[in-house]
Amino acid sequence: MIRFTLRRLLSGAILLVVVTSASFFLAHLAIGDPTAGLLGDSATPAQRAALRQQLGLNRPLLEQFWDWLSHAVRGDFGTSWRNFQPVSDQISLRVPVTLSIVVAATLLAAVVGLIVGIATGLRPSGILARVLKLASVVLFALPGFWVSLMLVMAFAIKLQWFPAVGYVPLTHSASGWLRSITLPSIALALGAIVMIAEQLRNGFLEVNNQDFVRTLRARGLSARRVTLHVLRNASPAALTVLAIMFVGLLGGAIVVEIIFNLPGIGSLTQSASQIGDIPVLLGLTVVTVVFVVVVNFLLDLVLGWVNPKVREK
Amino acid sequence: MQRIWRATLVAVIALALAACTNAGASSGGSGPDEKIKIGTLLDVTSWDPAQADIGFDGPYLSAVYDPLVALDKDSHPIPALATSWTYSPDHLTLTMRLRSGVTFSDGQPFDATAAVHNLQHLKAGVRSGQTYANVSAVRQVNRNAIAIHLKKKDDALLYSMGLGRSWMASPAAIKAKALSTRPAGSGPYTYDTGKSTPGSSYVFTRKPGHWDRKTYPFGTVSVFPIADPTASFNAMLSGQLDVAYANAADIPHAKRNGWNVASKVATWVGIQFTDRMGKRLKPLGDIRVRQAINHAFDGAAILKSVGQGAGVATNQVFPAGDPAYDASLNDQYAFDMDKAKQLMADAGYPDGFRVTMPMSSIFQPWQPAVQQILGQLGIKVTWKNLSPADYQKNAATYPMFVAVVALDSNAAASVDGRIASRQWFNPNPSTEAFPELHKLLGTIGATSGQKQIAQIRRLNAEVTNQAWQDVWYQANNTYFSNKGIKVTPLTGMMFPTLRFIQRG
Repeated sequence: MIRFTLRRLLSGAILLVVVTSASFFLAHLAIGDPTAGLLGDSATPAQRAALRQQLGLNRPLLEQFWDWLSHAVRGDFGTSWRNFQPVSDQISLRVPVTLSIVVAATLLAAVVGLIVGIATGLRPSGILARVLKLASVVLFALPGFWVSLMLVMAFAIKLQWFPAVGYVPLTHSASGWLRSITLPSIALALGAIVMIAEQLRNGFLEVNNQDFVRTLRARGLSARRVTLHVLRNASPAALTVLAIMFVGLLGGAIVVEIIFNLPGIGSLTQSASQIGDIPVLLGLTVVTVVFVVVVNFLLDLVLGWVNPKVREK
Repeated sequence: MQRIWRATLVAVIALALAACTNAGASSGGSGPDEKIKIGTLLDVTSWDPAQADIGFDGPYLSAVYDPLVALDKDSHPIPALATSWTYSPDHLTLTMRLRSGVTFSDGQPFDATAAVHNLQHLKAGVRSGQTYANVSAVRQVNRNAIAIHLKKKDDALLYSMGLGRSWMASPAAIKAKALSTRPAGSGPYTYDTGKSTPGSSYVFTRKPGHWDRKTYPFGTVSVFPIADPTASFNAMLSGQLDVAYANAADIPHAKRNGWNVASKVATWVGIQFTDRMGKRLKPLGDIRVRQAINHAFDGAAILKSVGQGAGVATNQVFPAGDPAYDASLNDQYAFDMDKAKQLMADAGYPDGFRVTMPMSSIFQPWQPAVQQILGQLGIKVTWKNLSPADYQKNAATYPMFVAVVALDSNAAASVDGRIASRQWFNPNPSTEAFPELHKLLGTIGATSGQKQIAQIRRLNAEVTNQAWQDVWYQANNTYFSNKGIKVTPLTGMMFPTLRFIQRG
């Protein structure tokens, strides 16, 4: 297990270096000189030249890369070109927002998906199974922004149960925080719920027909214990989907963050891209890659725990 | 085990109920007497006045900083921390008397030393520096007076200072470079970091005993940066905002809701010519070609179809209502395709010519009209797609491009910023190549007051004659506010400072 963990950590570190290095050069290649976007429409060529000098953009690109990398490994991603604040400060303010909605959406998707998946797995021809089939088509067809807007119209504008926009940190108010993330989390989770339930249901049906399940039943185990055994064998596929969904939701959060005006990493990515704020974009890339590596690592551990055969492989 | 599950379930339901119960209390609209919630388009760029953006930072910075000079609703400079000012007879020294008894939030006093330090900081700033480009030195006259020495006469200086380029910050905070993350000013409000969530909401509480208390009637001001117009509109509908930066398409809906609607021209929209000498694209060096392009576009129709009718159809870069604006010039290039084609033929281009123009997502709403109309003149456009950031950087390297350029509500500032000086959209003004225009610029520099305004009006006419650019219309910025709250927009400020948001 230790070798397994170390191997995973090493491949994660390599992935981090490769992706961020590629991002550095691609960003500089794509954005080039960002001073016009940063200074606005009243900037003179002299001001732009002064800013280029101040940002160190006149230096060779390799020198800039080495400078960035040597600071980044110490957790210093430099300062934003837009507001000259430390990038790490800005990201640390925004990560909790995105994590709040993504983790809540993942939990919601996991819990509801699990319940619906088991229920439809137990009764594959029941009404719930048919509803799930229909919902999977409808929810995949509906754009996320439309679902978000409908939630806002119904629960924020009409009923006024939840705010239409904004985020309240957990440290300010637990109820305010819950209220501010409820609608965005539901908007994010709806598609994931259906996907996880479908995966679980399919896995459930497949495992349910295997010989060992028949043996368990023949030995007189209760229906509940048999279901638990089936679930344990059917869950790896759903867990993999859940982990992929988590990473996908991190990226997909941008639409929800814009509609609900949440100051998360999605909206920061959008604003940094618009003006070509490379230090912020690189900091966000590092954070996202770290999330992907950590989630995949945790997934491997959980899969290994659920099914020891995975560990042996 | 079941007990734990039940207890967890009860706790979650209780929390959810508490959340829903609180929803009405904190998301409902607040009365104008105490609290106001303002939705603006962008997040604060920086708390450092030298790094801040003049456009949308107004509501944030005006809460925590006092300016040396403010503007009234007609864009005239009025006293703030500078209580009065006089120019020397040669207009090369501006002496300002300063308010006494003012302290910054960190306890430092505001005096001439602080003002000098601030102005030097602003002059050195990458974003604020242009306002002080003509300033050669700033000196302390005495404890309550400073002298600003100019390299040349600058009629736009006081206006630009009032627009948002003279916020005074604590010199200690400037020296410590602490302003990028936290403000330190003497303004009417204190930034409440405990109640604020950077990037989402900024809460300001009124300072007791501020010298200009009557200008700021609200006890608590909350500013929400909301980039998406739909989200902003939804926030107004749900009662989360009292004031919102608005999309003109929502005006009928706003009126049905009984909200106040305030609009004012903010930008000009059209085609900017950057090669009036015809060095890269010979046809543009011919005035008849530029005039033909002006005649070919129906600005009023484009305003209606693309600009949702929110603005003024005009061919001028001086904002409608400005003393230099001349309504009689608006007919000079009335839509006339036959005349446009005749001018092209007279110039020797009856079959048009080829041109490459830049394009980005922001300007795409106008692209079909440009393609079609220039096509009618035989001008075949090859589009070069750019990202929005690259557009601003590279658009002016093309001989002509679709432009949206901010307006100024000060005639002298408009002359300098839109016509005479190098800007990103006008990198090569070449005014010396247009003798009459060049002469007028010299006269404007040598006069002041009403005489100067008369000369600027003549310049406006000459710029229009020369088809200096092809302006289709001036577009409005629009703001919604709940009943009982009045927003007074100012051309030049993309979002008004707090002194322009009042009860009423």
